[in-house]
Amino acid sequence: MRHLTEEELIEHYFYEDANRIVVETHLRICGRCEQEYDEISNALAVRAPEPPAREPGYGKRVWQTIQQPLLPYSSKPRRSFFFMPRLAFAGACLLFVAATFIAGRVWERMQTRSSQAVVSQEGKERVVLFILDDHLDRSERLLVQLNHAGSGGEAADLALQAEARQLLPDNRLYRQTLADSRDPLLSAALDHLERVLLEVANSPGELSSADLARLENEMNTDSLLFQIRVLRARVSSQEPKSDFSRKGTLL
Amino acid sequence: MGNDDHALIRAVLAGDKDAYGLLVERHSESVFRVAFRITESEADADEVAQETFLRGYRSLADFDGRANFRTWIYRIAMNCALKALSKRKTEAAVPILEEYDDERPGIQLADRGAGPDRLLLDREIEARRHAAMEKMSPTERLAFVLRHLEGRSTEEIAAALDVPQSSAKQAVFRAVQKLRRSLAPLWVKS
Repeated sequence: MRHLTEEELIEHYFYEDANRIVVETHLRICGRCEQEYDEISNALAVRAPEPPAREPGYGKRVWQTIQQPLLPYSSKPRRSFFFMPRLAFAGACLLFVAATFIAGRVWERMQTRSSQAVVSQEGKERVVLFILDDHLDRSERLLVQLNHAGSGGEAADLALQAEARQLLPDNRLYRQTLADSRDPLLSAALDHLERVLLEVANSPGELSSADLARLENEMNTDSLLFQIRVLRARVSSQEPKSDFSRKGTLL
Repeated sequence: MGNDDHALIRAVLAGDKDAYGLLVERHSESVFRVAFRITESEADADEVAQETFLRGYRSLADFDGRANFRTWIYRIAMNCALKALSKRKTEAAVPILEEYDDERPGIQLADRGAGPDRLLLDREIEARRHAAMEKMSPTERLAFVLRHLEGRSTEEIAAALDVPQSSAKQAVFRAVQKLRRSLAPLWVKS
């Protein structure tokens, strides 16, 4: 009998499990999982103090406190999102026409020259690899600096956090683009990297040496750094190769 | 509600400053509530609510019209609350008070006529819960507060934190694990 994982039990507590009835049935017959679930429920039953009720007119009081220094926005038309719908509609129409045209051509090509499509796909992957190399290089340097600051007992400065914030959207894009690739190491490393970048980027102030040590401990940044170095070596070695000589995995 | 918010934002951006007052009135209590959940201090939560709406006003021109104003202002509130929390962390560790103190309701336990043993256990539980919250990373703390205390869905949390749903879920898991491990010795004792 397979026991339920802690994650499954937590999902069950928050009513997020896909197979609720299966989990409930298992909990009825498995004492070990039932005990673990009780422990989770007990821990979550310990509630933080409830927010005190605000007096009527609290919102008005907040507004009166802050309104004085606020300058009214200029009333002349702004190029904000509210003026975008008409432009967006026109843009969407253009896009639709263009997409229909391109889809027709692509369909025709797929029917007649499937080999060309393969080449095109390979070319796309090669572009992704080329850009990814740069991203991995920047991520590696960030991790090295983080680890260096952590082991030296120093705080990570705000420049590192800014770098993490810049890397975060790129990483998300690569992770989503390569989600369907046949390389689990790459997907896992990008996922792992995203969690680390998130922690660094969302930190409210400078990361102290204690924060860095916790990050290193909980997120295993050393291992991530190693994975990224391996990936970089693989990406660099594949860039100059002929696409047709490649077989098997994406990287 | 969402469409009304957008109409008010349009009015503010057209020069009607007072329209923002209506947005403040509409959302200030929920902003205060989430700020209190994160800071666990009434005074800090009040300050955070004011700071949030100030920042919100100044960034209103950048507000994406497709977004939900409540989610957007929540995100600002959470950042302000984390900043307040980080400022407070530099101060000395907070002791558990013996006497009631209006300023610090978050670290006291209600006396429900329990005996001294129960009172001691309650204090120990609260101290461990507080310690577990301090050990959580900012993302974990926010995800935990939104999921467990505010009852938000994973989708809403992901939107508020601007992360994928899987990351939001993982952050909640890690937070619960930390809370569970911090409290585990007490269940064995009791």
